[in-house]
Amino acid sequence: MADTALPDLSTRSESHSKTRRRGPTFRLGRVLIYGILIIGLLQAVFPFFWMISASLMPINEVTLGYLLPSQPQFNNYVDAWNQANFSQFMWNSVRITAITVAGQLIFCVPAAYAFARMRFVGRNLIFGLLLATLMIPDVAILIPNYLTVIWFGRLSDAVLGIGWINNWPALTIPFMASAFTIFLLRQFFAQIPEDLWDAVRIDGGGHLRFLWSVVVPLSRPVLMTTVIFAFIGSWNALLWPLLVTQTDTWRPVAVGLTKFVNTDQPTALHLQMAASVIMIIPILIIYFFTQRQFTEGIATSGLKG
Amino acid sequence: MSVLNLSGQRRRAIRENLVAYLFLSPALTLIMIFGILPVAFALFVSLHRWRRFPEEFIGLDNYQRALGDFAYVAFIWVAAGAVAFACLILWRFFKQNRSRPALFAYLIPGVVSAAAVALLVNWVVIWLPIVLDIPQRLRTQARSGELFIGELIASFQMPQVVEAGNWMLIGIVAAVALSIICYLLIKTEDAEKLLAQAASAFFLLIVAAFTLQLTGSEVMIAIDAAREAGEELPIWTQAAIISAGVIMLGAAYVLWRGANRGGNLRFVLQFVAAAMLMVGGYAFIGELPLLLSGADSNMLRGFNITLMYTLGTVPIQLMFGLLLAYLLFQKIKFKSFFRMMYFLPYVTPFVATSIVFGILFSHRPTSPVNQLMTALGLPVQKWLLEPTGIFQLIFGPQVPDVLSGPSLALVVIILYSSWTYIGYSTVVFLAGLGNISGELYEAARIDGANEWNVFRRITLPMLSPTTFFLTLITIIGTLQSFTQIWILRTPAASSSVDTVGVYIYETISQSTPNMGYGSALSLVLFTVILVFTLVQNRLSRNRVFYG
Repeated sequence: MADTALPDLSTRSESHSKTRRRGPTFRLGRVLIYGILIIGLLQAVFPFFWMISASLMPINEVTLGYLLPSQPQFNNYVDAWNQANFSQFMWNSVRITAITVAGQLIFCVPAAYAFARMRFVGRNLIFGLLLATLMIPDVAILIPNYLTVIWFGRLSDAVLGIGWINNWPALTIPFMASAFTIFLLRQFFAQIPEDLWDAVRIDGGGHLRFLWSVVVPLSRPVLMTTVIFAFIGSWNALLWPLLVTQTDTWRPVAVGLTKFVNTDQPTALHLQMAASVIMIIPILIIYFFTQRQFTEGIATSGLKG
Repeated sequence: MSVLNLSGQRRRAIRENLVAYLFLSPALTLIMIFGILPVAFALFVSLHRWRRFPEEFIGLDNYQRALGDFAYVAFIWVAAGAVAFACLILWRFFKQNRSRPALFAYLIPGVVSAAAVALLVNWVVIWLPIVLDIPQRLRTQARSGELFIGELIASFQMPQVVEAGNWMLIGIVAAVALSIICYLLIKTEDAEKLLAQAASAFFLLIVAAFTLQLTGSEVMIAIDAAREAGEELPIWTQAAIISAGVIMLGAAYVLWRGANRGGNLRFVLQFVAAAMLMVGGYAFIGELPLLLSGADSNMLRGFNITLMYTLGTVPIQLMFGLLLAYLLFQKIKFKSFFRMMYFLPYVTPFVATSIVFGILFSHRPTSPVNQLMTALGLPVQKWLLEPTGIFQLIFGPQVPDVLSGPSLALVVIILYSSWTYIGYSTVVFLAGLGNISGELYEAARIDGANEWNVFRRITLPMLSPTTFFLTLITIIGTLQSFTQIWILRTPAASSSVDTVGVYIYETISQSTPNMGYGSALSLVLFTVILVFTLVQNRLSRNRVFYG
């Protein structure tokens, strides 16, 4: 249902407003348009501006509500980094992302390939079921998944010595097979020309060889998109990591920052701001470099919410 | 030769099937465990007393605690819905096969398959608590893989599990055998479809029967208990009245839609529809508070807050998003720059930007927002620490509590959410605008339509799928929101900003977690989201224009 309404997010067509009325009313209209757009810009950007500004102030200037620091204190970033234990959290988030992505590639690529290029009994039924899972809200499966993870954790702890709670499996394994990623990859794989498959078959190769030596190398852009999604997901997630971590050893950045801010004795405001800026920077870098994939991905998947 | 060839093809097809399932099985297993089965698991948990570990089956008690007596009505509705859906499937089955009566034979394997599925569920329900209890049983022992695996194997050999397992096996074997026999006797190409239709219809009927039996017995117990205490508990009449009200509301909607085709009777039909609407609405609004009187007040407050939060956020961000997207769609310089910047609030992690809003809106008289208030000659506010409703703040304490509206703290959170979502809807609207064909605009201009008429008659209708998508996504998002509220809540105002999502988290994360109750709450929220989605889907069917 949602996908029928899914708008095509490519920003291909430029504006169609062809008529250009000349004269004074026209100019007034332009001024008004730009005026509203700039107001919109200011409301969107002001919190960021003030965030950066406050992150450079000494504490008393933040509480007094200065707009700009009288003397930028770049030391705040060092203090925030150390006090919030950011080296640990950043490293955790990177590790979590890396494991999740590796898992997603192992689990989702073959599944997407099967849906895209193979004929088997029940294909449409299973694919429909997969798409239906996208409609299940996270809150409905939060508690059962928590219980499942606890139980598997006990099992794996007893057998392999690897617990799940407060460890990487709880943070990564449930996200390794994502219906959305499979859907995304399938759409891409289905577009690969049939000729290539014929060529591989003439060479005596099978599905595995085709997948490994043709499909995967051709799909680098969409695989990159998957990596970006996994990164955003693990960077932003709060509720689930809050539930399944108890110590800092595997807590991702979002939880680390929340704990840093909501401690018993309130953290100094300028350091809160500096820490928030630090958390935002990696996302911003990725956003500015991979803008198109990033925008399309986040807008169609409703990844945040 | 041809026979050999055919078997070769056949062998290849089987191979292809095997390889495909080999490719699929890892991902499907994970999605089953963490994506699909959890919904059923949540239902299972919610029917138990379940703090950390499963304790005992308590039926609908968790729902009764959450929703009061309305829980019984809700479950009766679920059963009625299942029956209605089963009848719909059977009706379709009969309609499609009227010309081929032999196909009705597929009803027999259908019934047996449904029974087999029910026996499978029964086996899982008996086996699952034993398995989930293993960690608890081994708590005092040393950590040992062999012990755990041993317990796991033993769980399959428990007498009650074995008995249920035997029944399940008999059921499955019978179902498979009957299906094959039926297929061999009456060959048809849509055999799987017929079988699936019949099986799902009968399975729904089994579910409905079980639900009704459970609900009915619980209502009886509740009524007996009340009678012993010397009270009357009119659940059945209440349920009948509120159900009649809901049916009337639905009938009024259908009648009103039909009235447009009614010709001379149109006004009569509309009048009847309006009357039914009023009577049905009266019955619903009159009975609901009575039925909910025993409900968990924290949960009701949570839903109230969630609703205000959603109703505050969604329209604001849709309106501003549409405005900005429409303006940006004109010939504008630096268009992509504007777009990029508008999207920034949505892109950045909610945790970080929530913290910024927390400081911008802090209660200090020198906080940025309070400075702005002072500059505008307005009184300084406590913002996130203020649990008082905004209408009471604006119009004075004489405003009754019911009408006080969202608390000022919640208003700040609504502002924050709108701020993050505006950029999102701008980007999506902009894409939607790009998909409208330019020819429509040209035709309108040639006919001499002005800017407003073009917007009203072309842009808005053509954008309706985008608007629909956005509304749905943001409603679902805000109904289960957690992050921003978790960061922005303060002890002083938390009772006025805690949404259902936060309440659920509190239920399961406190030192004595209550998983059973938390699951019941999350399924209630899930149902609300589902009903929202379906109603919106239904209502917008006539308004959304899919080109």
